[in-house]
Amino acid sequence: MSQRVFITGYGIITSIGKNTQENFQSLTLRRCGFGELSILDTIHQKDLPACEIKLHDQELREAAGIKTEKGYTRTALLGLLALQEAIHSAGLSLTDIRNSGLISATTTGGIREFEKFFYQITDLQQQGDFDQFTDTANPGEHCERIADHVGIRQCIATVSTACSSSANAIMQGAQLIKAKKIDRVICGGAEALSKFTVNGFNSLMIVDPEHCRPFDNTRKGLNLGEGAAYLVLESEALVNQKRRKPLAELKGYGNANDSFHLTASSPEGTGAFNAMNLALSVAGFSAADVDYINAHGTATENNDLSEGMGIQRLFREQVPYFSSTKPYTGHTLAAAGSIEAVFCMMALQHQIIWPNLNFSSQMQEITISPVREMMQNTVLKNILSNSFGFGGNTSSLLFSLV
Amino acid sequence: MDERQHYYINGIGIISPQKTFEHDQFLQEICAYESNVLTCIIPSFKTYISPGQLRRLSRMHRIGLTAATMCLRDANVQVPDGIITASGYGFLEETEKFLTEMLERNEKQLTPTYFIQGTYNALAGLIALSTKCLGYNNTYVSKGFAFENALHDVMLQLSENSTSNFLVGSSDEAAKVLYAIGMRAQYYKVENIPNLKLFDSQTTGTIQGEGSAFFMVSGAPSATTWCAIKDLQMVYTPQHEGEFNLALTSFLEVNKIKLSEIDVWVSGASGNIEHDHLLHHLEKTVLQQTPQIRFKHLCGEYCTAVSFGLWIGASILKKQSIPDILKVSTPEFSLEKIETVLIVNQYLNRNYSFVLLKK
Repeated sequence: MSQRVFITGYGIITSIGKNTQENFQSLTLRRCGFGELSILDTIHQKDLPACEIKLHDQELREAAGIKTEKGYTRTALLGLLALQEAIHSAGLSLTDIRNSGLISATTTGGIREFEKFFYQITDLQQQGDFDQFTDTANPGEHCERIADHVGIRQCIATVSTACSSSANAIMQGAQLIKAKKIDRVICGGAEALSKFTVNGFNSLMIVDPEHCRPFDNTRKGLNLGEGAAYLVLESEALVNQKRRKPLAELKGYGNANDSFHLTASSPEGTGAFNAMNLALSVAGFSAADVDYINAHGTATENNDLSEGMGIQRLFREQVPYFSSTKPYTGHTLAAAGSIEAVFCMMALQHQIIWPNLNFSSQMQEITISPVREMMQNTVLKNILSNSFGFGGNTSSLLFSLV
Repeated sequence: MDERQHYYINGIGIISPQKTFEHDQFLQEICAYESNVLTCIIPSFKTYISPGQLRRLSRMHRIGLTAATMCLRDANVQVPDGIITASGYGFLEETEKFLTEMLERNEKQLTPTYFIQGTYNALAGLIALSTKCLGYNNTYVSKGFAFENALHDVMLQLSENSTSNFLVGSSDEAAKVLYAIGMRAQYYKVENIPNLKLFDSQTTGTIQGEGSAFFMVSGAPSATTWCAIKDLQMVYTPQHEGEFNLALTSFLEVNKIKLSEIDVWVSGASGNIEHDHLLHHLEKTVLQQTPQIRFKHLCGEYCTAVSFGLWIGASILKKQSIPDILKVSTPEFSLEKIETVLIVNQYLNRNYSFVLLKK
């Protein structure tokens, strides 16, 4: 018998709040993190606004309780803050933490620090305080650092599948528990804004200088964001030992490859369809069981078309409510899957659907449109959360009320 | 997961600093390096990649895609059911190109080619595109655990569907920028050392290597099977010798393997006198009676070097022979039949792993 997988806690930090409560409030008040950059040092501070967390690294260090230890990148700091909240929220003891696994996701790790000190680091004649960031071009570095900080020693893994990374981290955690390899694993992702990312996405010409408009006919691209979120996944056996009721169950997951183009999704949404369909089949659900989809909805022309087509193809006449929360947080890349998974947890707990902001005109290629106003009196039992990325990576997670 | 379940390696493709791309050879010809950087001996890419595609690919993408294609051909599989890749630093040459252009041009007039090519999951995506594989696709970038995570993921996927064929592989490149990082971080040796003398050195640091190795893993054997993977375990930052030895003995116990049954163990010693201490302790204690081989003098050290070790283990089991270049003098090798191979790897004295292979 395989184990069922439950979510017993979570933590989050985004441009709309440094913890769960602040994120919940912002979502409810339609408060977005979009604006000019002021913390990241880039020539694009004004012309490419993004969803930046308005806390300097030193403030993040203080919030995370780091006094003198060196080498913490912004990605690691964001990850640590979300992880600390997740641990607290699940009520884990030090022993519990030691027996947990950590699967983290990132697309750039500490590239922000590496780009800043690149010339010093690569010139072996130079010495200085920058030395602490020598190995931060390594994407797995943040995961080991935060694992070491909180004392996690089992099952350490870093996933990087572009913008679907943390959804895959959560899926891998679920499969480990299901296969009885481990009883508790903390999964999620962390991503700090960097010049590397801002310029990379800008060179691809998919960044909208205006506030993004997912699933809107006039959408022109995404807004970048930063943040981190982790979910505590526990086995049925472990949950049964505790008195606390789990927050939700991870019923299904699907991972597929669109196999169409390295930086574009198929217009017919093959990967999106397959990932959602797999998640339903793992859960043993039919399309009609899904009450809401937290869409990937980046507001690029390509993603929303592909995702919209995939949703329409899978759900046909009965498309559930769907919305993209990207206008609130921006696209947080590897962290998006876990940040939106946390939004799904809050949606289930509070029975709320948050609206897809900035939607005004119907896409011509599809007949479906997202939720525009906050919905509070609907019944939410099962939620799909989509995450798609470059390289054709498509993943979908299915969360259910317990 | 059923503990009795085996995972079969039904195909391999490997490109490394040795001539490993022809399977009828098993380290007959050895490449010696005088500098501390070992780079891949490459086959003719044209045999594996179309000219149009070849032009657009970076060196490491060519190496990775070729190794994957070799593996598919060796396993006689056209389209795998899933693809999982592993890398410590990804495609750092490309990442560095985009980064330096960005810094030199002050964030202006940038083209996305190197940005796209530097993405960690680019190789897994590329293989999916080339094989039209719509199935499971994942990429691990967990330092010295990346390849083990990928292999572990395959085992999980196969436990849900044992007849699938999963392509799992590594790629890490000996990027110049990584050499600079590694020198600053004291990963590499200060003094120059010929690779074949790596284990004579009594200093810290290691030599830089690279490579890409792909394996077709399935829950069922085939006509092309190399060996079976019985189990895999990772040990993160063991604090002392006792803890590490205990981890190994428990791993063997869980798999019901007696020490006397291990015909040979593959040590991931890196030639770093400090980082190798737990492995040296192992050879004096638990594995004292077990013949030992080493491989990092042939491929150099990199995050996913254990994949080279897996190829060594699989080759020994398939070919029933051990090239002398791998052997560590004591104890004597007097093997008639090789049935069980244990790989024990370490990376930076932080990421340790055990892989148990059976004939």
